[in-house]
Amino acid sequence: MTATEPDNLVLTPRDVQWDWTGLPMHYIDGDPFTTHFANVLNILLPEGEDWFITVFQQAVPMIKDDRLREDVIGFIGQEATHSASHQTVLTHFRKVGFDTSPYTDQLRWFFSKMLGDRELTGKKAQGWIIDRIAIIAAIEHVTAYLGDWILNAEAIDRTDHNPEILDLYRWHGAEEVEHRAVAYDLFTHLDGRYRNRVRAHVVAFPVLVYWWVRGLRYLMAADPERIAGRDKPRFRDWFRASRKGVLPSPKSLVRLYFGYLRPGYHPSQYGSTTQAVAYLAASPAARAAHR
Amino acid sequence: MSTETETGTETRTGSRTRTGAGTGDDLRTPPPRSATDPRPDPILALLARVTPFLLWQSARRKRREPRPVDRSLRLVVTEVRQEAEDVVSLRFTAADGSPLPGWHPGSHLDLDLPSGRRRQYSLCGDPADRTTYRIAVRRLAHGDGGSREIHETLTPGTELRAHGPRNAFAYAPGGACLFIAGGIGITPILPMVRAAAAAGADWRLVYTGRSRATLPFLDEIDAIGAMAGASGRVTVRTDDTDGIPTPEQLLSGAGRGTSVYFCGPPPLITAVRDAFPTTGAGGLHFERFAAAPVVDGTPFELQLGPDGPVLPVPADRSALSVLAEQRPETGYSCRQGFCGTCRLPVLAGEVAHAGSPTARRTDTNMLICVSRAASEGGRITLDV
Ligand code: FES
Ligand SMILES: [Fe+2]
Ligand SMILES: [Fe+2]
Repeated sequence: MTATEPDNLVLTPRDVQWDWTGLPMHYIDGDPFTTHFANVLNILLPEGEDWFITVFQQAVPMIKDDRLREDVIGFIGQEATHSASHQTVLTHFRKVGFDTSPYTDQLRWFFSKMLGDRELTGKKAQGWIIDRIAIIAAIEHVTAYLGDWILNAEAIDRTDHNPEILDLYRWHGAEEVEHRAVAYDLFTHLDGRYRNRVRAHVVAFPVLVYWWVRGLRYLMAADPERIAGRDKPRFRDWFRASRKGVLPSPKSLVRLYFGYLRPGYHPSQYGSTTQAVAYLAASPAARAAHR
Repeated sequence: MSTETETGTETRTGSRTRTGAGTGDDLRTPPPRSATDPRPDPILALLARVTPFLLWQSARRKRREPRPVDRSLRLVVTEVRQEAEDVVSLRFTAADGSPLPGWHPGSHLDLDLPSGRRRQYSLCGDPADRTTYRIAVRRLAHGDGGSREIHETLTPGTELRAHGPRNAFAYAPGGACLFIAGGIGITPILPMVRAAAAAGADWRLVYTGRSRATLPFLDEIDAIGAMAGASGRVTVRTDDTDGIPTPEQLLSGAGRGTSVYFCGPPPLITAVRDAFPTTGAGGLHFERFAAAPVVDGTPFELQLGPDGPVLPVPADRSALSVLAEQRPETGYSCRQGFCGTCRLPVLAGEVAHAGSPTARRTDTNMLICVSRAASEGGRITLDV
């Protein structure tokens, strides 16, 4: 298959639109755990991807490779539409009395203050941009994995689910697979040292897991339709859902963690561009996007 | 700046370019633990203590300058051939004879024409041939002159700079395919058809145009159609004998799950897209429109900050292109008013807002890729 895998893709954002009226609260398999595990994306990504954009925009003038610059600009637009799309889910949640702002406020503080620009100038500012690009490259390793996972998660299609929100996740996942090498290639261009890449990953991954768990606990507790006794995440719920194929397994995340440590790692070794391209042609939201 | 920290995610109003210049003060006071517990969150407070160490480390790290990468190609025209009425094909090799970068069906090349124009053309040759690129160009009498320049000035021996190949119309092999090409739209489709035929895939091609005389590569398509197992896969329909095709006719060969690849004139693509959902076909591949040039614009002025310099924006340029020239750190992506990455806060002046209201978040921001001053000669002061 590799011989025919398309490459050198022009990355462009797609002008997708969403309407969540009538979205059930537990839209995957009627299961609060599975649904909120996925909902973490909706509360985490608007802030996280906005932060990606802030950092990447500042990196653009540092790039000395026209093709990479084009890729980064396309990447920025894709992440911006991802962020805005997940935000529409939060707007819907708020309308139905599900307030996520305590969590997103904390998260915004984390990204814009802790990981913000910090009033640095000159070389120090540039260095801090590069360090944050290393963090983004490490996170993109995870998003590309999740993108590939959701595109192949046929078990979800067999459960009772909301097709439109599944399209949101798969459209996003497909674009993550499509642009999976950009952050890594940008890091390689600006720094590229194994030590710096891995250092960022070793720190970023557990912090991401921490925010995920925190988000999951928040969502399950704040869920307006929570079911007594099922309003806390439990490991056995995760094992059950991953055995069923509706969530990635804990084991696969451990593999994911170590995969990034390989010295010969490159994002193109994971996931399938062909599959992403095919999904983007089939996605109702992406197909309806006129631009 | 301060608006960015307002609570409630729907009230996000800030522009990205100015976020996150966190001061020490902000860092010392993390947001509350929860909606009911106003004490600062302990974990975040702990993280805040680690940050100075991260920054200290960051400042100590050795940095290197990124190595400039020049990926442009020097090509030389080796052959110009009349393929149909008003259509020529051109073949190129590398000026230094080295192998050319590989490509996949659907890819295009950016050509820098001798006049300085840059134009994109789909590669329509054989991807396995690493010594030659082939493109085909229809002469557009009322175009912007790029196609005329190619027809009139490029001859064997002409040297050109090119960029790419890049792919904005990727072919994803697998399953049944229906290829639809309108006229010169055959160029990206032809290598796809070849790949599908070589792989023994289940494919169909509908090739349409004004008349047979205007359709390039009919001989090559006949040859593919004559291959074993390919009989009946190709339909050539021309307006002069079959009438103008309806989108339903074009899509009639698309069964359940078929992948449709379309390349043709823009009005036809809109029609095909509208008709597509009724077919039950699996996916629709087409090349999206790039940002259109500014038409019907009026000149205005852009001031960079209350005491900043004033830049004139001519009628045929966007505020974004003028600002980006001055400030390379200006953010943008789609240049069509929907991604929001060019959003900037406006301090003064009246804006004729264009683009998506959600992308601009509030009317105090402006999408500089598509919005202009409300009146001719007006001045907009940006908070940059
Ligand atoms: S660049 Fe996307 S909205 Fe202006
Ligand atoms: Fe994303
Ligand atoms: Fe991404």
